[in-house]
Amino acid sequence: MNQPVRTTLQKHSERLVPFVGRGPVDVHRRPRQVALRVGGVVALLVLLLVAGQVLDIARLLTLEEALALAAFAMASNLLIGYGGLVSFGQAAFFGIGSYTVALGWLHWQLSFWLALVIAPLIGGAVAGIIGLLALRSRRLYFALLTLAFSQLCYVLAQERYTFTQGANGVIGPMLPDSLIDPRHAYLFVLAVAAAAALVLWKITTSPFGLVLRATRENRERMQALGVNVFGHQLLAFVISGAFCSLAGVLFVVYSQSAYPELLDWTQSGYAVYMVVIGGMFTFLGPALGAGVYTFANQYLAQHTSDWQLILGLILLVIVLFRPDGLAGLLSPRPWRSAARRLQARFGQQEDSTTDTTDPDRTTGELP
Amino acid sequence: MRTLILDVVGILATAGSLFIVSSGLTLVFGAMRLINVAHGSFYMLGAFVMTTVAANSAGARFWVAVAAATVVVAVLSVVVEVSVMRRIYASDHLTHLLATFAVSLIVADLALRVWGSGGRSVREPSVATGAVSLGGATFPAYDLVLIAAAFAVGLGLWLLLTRTPFGWRIRAAVDDPELLSCTGTRLSLLRTGVFMLGAALAAFAGALVSPQVTVAPGMDTAIIVSAFIVAVIGGLGSIPGAALGALIIGVAETLGASYAPSWSSSFMYLAMIAVLVMLPSGLLGRAER
Amino acid sequence: MTALLRATGLTRRFGGFTAVDHVDMEVQEGGIHAVIGPNGAGKTTLFRLLTGLVRPTEGRIVFAGSEIGGSRPHKIARRGLAQSFQLTAIFPRLSVLESVQAAIIARQRHTRDVLHWTGRSTTAEAGAILDRVGLGAASGQLANTLSHGDQRALDLALALAGRPRLLLLDEPTAGMSILETRQTIDLIVDLVRTDGLTVLFSEHDMDMVFGISETITVLHQGRVIADGPAATVRADDDVMAIYLGNAVRERN
Repeated sequence: MNQPVRTTLQKHSERLVPFVGRGPVDVHRRPRQVALRVGGVVALLVLLLVAGQVLDIARLLTLEEALALAAFAMASNLLIGYGGLVSFGQAAFFGIGSYTVALGWLHWQLSFWLALVIAPLIGGAVAGIIGLLALRSRRLYFALLTLAFSQLCYVLAQERYTFTQGANGVIGPMLPDSLIDPRHAYLFVLAVAAAAALVLWKITTSPFGLVLRATRENRERMQALGVNVFGHQLLAFVISGAFCSLAGVLFVVYSQSAYPELLDWTQSGYAVYMVVIGGMFTFLGPALGAGVYTFANQYLAQHTSDWQLILGLILLVIVLFRPDGLAGLLSPRPWRSAARRLQARFGQQEDSTTDTTDPDRTTGELP
Repeated sequence: MRTLILDVVGILATAGSLFIVSSGLTLVFGAMRLINVAHGSFYMLGAFVMTTVAANSAGARFWVAVAAATVVVAVLSVVVEVSVMRRIYASDHLTHLLATFAVSLIVADLALRVWGSGGRSVREPSVATGAVSLGGATFPAYDLVLIAAAFAVGLGLWLLLTRTPFGWRIRAAVDDPELLSCTGTRLSLLRTGVFMLGAALAAFAGALVSPQVTVAPGMDTAIIVSAFIVAVIGGLGSIPGAALGALIIGVAETLGASYAPSWSSSFMYLAMIAVLVMLPSGLLGRAER
Repeated sequence: MTALLRATGLTRRFGGFTAVDHVDMEVQEGGIHAVIGPNGAGKTTLFRLLTGLVRPTEGRIVFAGSEIGGSRPHKIARRGLAQSFQLTAIFPRLSVLESVQAAIIARQRHTRDVLHWTGRSTTAEAGAILDRVGLGAASGQLANTLSHGDQRALDLALALAGRPRLLLLDEPTAGMSILETRQTIDLIVDLVRTDGLTVLFSEHDMDMVFGISETITVLHQGRVIADGPAATVRADDDVMAIYLGNAVRERN
């Protein structure tokens, strides 16, 4: 019975962060803390509602994109952070959501509202099939299998020209009249994203969510306790896929198009990116990551051609020095511990020549 | 007969360049359990350096440029290894994936700055220009260069790993790095060496394929997926596996392109899924505990 | 008394190595049964066979009247066979309370329940179990911050949360302090006397083995070399010679 190897990312998550809940129900939470958290969420929602009225259209659209991507990141984090299942294929479900709207409109004049309902069902069903095969592998091979499946979807979207219009994607008036006004569209995206977040939060605080985290921590132990681990992770995969598809529908409200790049592995990479820079061990961390990513992307693209450089540097710094993400900065003692961590890291560097890494340990498990 | 020869040459040329890239990826994984997403970046850098140094010269300068691309990228990779990789060897796969993904973003940006977004090209060397006719089939002479290079790399790696102290140490590092460091090997130097060799192989492949492709940004993310697929099908860490994987993908791509062109890109992914679902550690890979 | 667990001809080979070799044994309901043997005797493999983590090469395992040999681990666990692990198997980044809650949810088979909150039905029971193993005060701590002895106690709590009929303990006091060992022994005896649990354990500490167990099975190189009431095994010359050695003889 191997005790699971604690990885760097895991080690740093030990101080779980009071950033609007760490997901699990915490019975030790004091009423004041609960009030603070509820207050924080309400304040955030009010802020987002007010922003919908006062921001200029360009910024509003960016915020709308950020909300769609936040839903995508939180849905992905159900797998990555809570389940410890690092999928590099969540873009497949995101893209399936977008393409459900676009292709439904293109071929069958499918109503957007119907597509909104159908997309998560299709996404969940496809996730069921992919999960059935991919979850047989573990860790790295799981990540690569999910990547292969999503690339397959990408290639299909690009090459089935008559059905998908290929690399050009589907562009056109696929939104209903009521979502033409950008401010209405924004409110709609906000409402659906918030509802999705609420449902995801409920799922993570349910018995299902606790068992999912426990399985991440120690799979064999959970088996020994009578849990069908494969079935459980498959269900998590399906739920995540369904919500990723829903996020894909929201993205169409922003982009008014669907194109193959939405399914590319780099898109999945950006989901992992948002989750990690925001903080994978907090519920709202990935949403924060999505916000930072979108605005950095937009702002940097306008002001500098080096946005990739800056995104890359941010990621590198986070991975090397703050594996609990930006949400970790909101913890009570962030700077002190960060300083200590830096010290520890460079302290270790000095004797790196004697640093011996057992390959089996490093292949332990993806967090 | 004619189509058979065409297919065989096409398969071997495709498989050859894929093998050179993937061998570097799988070597680094085998020796250090490191997943290097930035491997595609070294490939792209190799191609870019090639375009600069070769400067469309078809003469001997072509070969000088191949060597220069390989060496320049190898040196750059040492900078990456010392500044980033050394800090993350002891971490988990996710950290490896993310840190090297970050490096690939940074490299992509810097490459864009230096070489711009336009496509660049390189002329084939004069010795391998034009077409060769064999048994009624006509194919690019340069395909033979790729095939020869792949065989040379395969042979070279085999000799290196089985006949030199450096190779013995690499293989020992796979089994037990702790013991190896006890016997007096500077593990950090060995790792730098392996990482550099991996990057050099990527750059060599990038430089070699440059006459046959448009050298442009985006090469990195495209090749890394193919390289992973080849390495994973063969079994991560296994160099013969990479050769086998490259051959399988070569067959899938070449035959796909001839007989089912609109589906050809799907075959590679289907092949990987099929192999991994049946053999979770690839064809020649060791089971991962 | 009736046999709660019966293994017949149980064998497991790893390549050419036979870790468990035609083992026949019975565990009586409501008793404390020890499996002893030198390192590498096959105790851990035997336990992994019983819990389904390793599939038998040959032989049968009957638990509470049903064949469980070759069943998947979670199916066996649901029948009431729980294990506490030699290398402590806890959930490092869950709190102590959450860990036990997860185990209770697993027993209740509410693992797919996404509609309720975790706390509702499980907090009280989890608290009671933690009090039982002496971790009541640590329930808010993360599991990986506990001391080694406390981690073993949590591991035991996880097994108890499954309300098992048979509890398998693989070296329950390994690495524990004298005080912790004493407490663990008291707890095991109490669980059997008060709750009617059956305990099967492996152990190196001979004082503990002869102190609390009613029945002892001795394994050597994968085979059973002695099996029966503690007093009989103790008097067995083969056991003395092969395994117990001088320590016991001197004490006698």
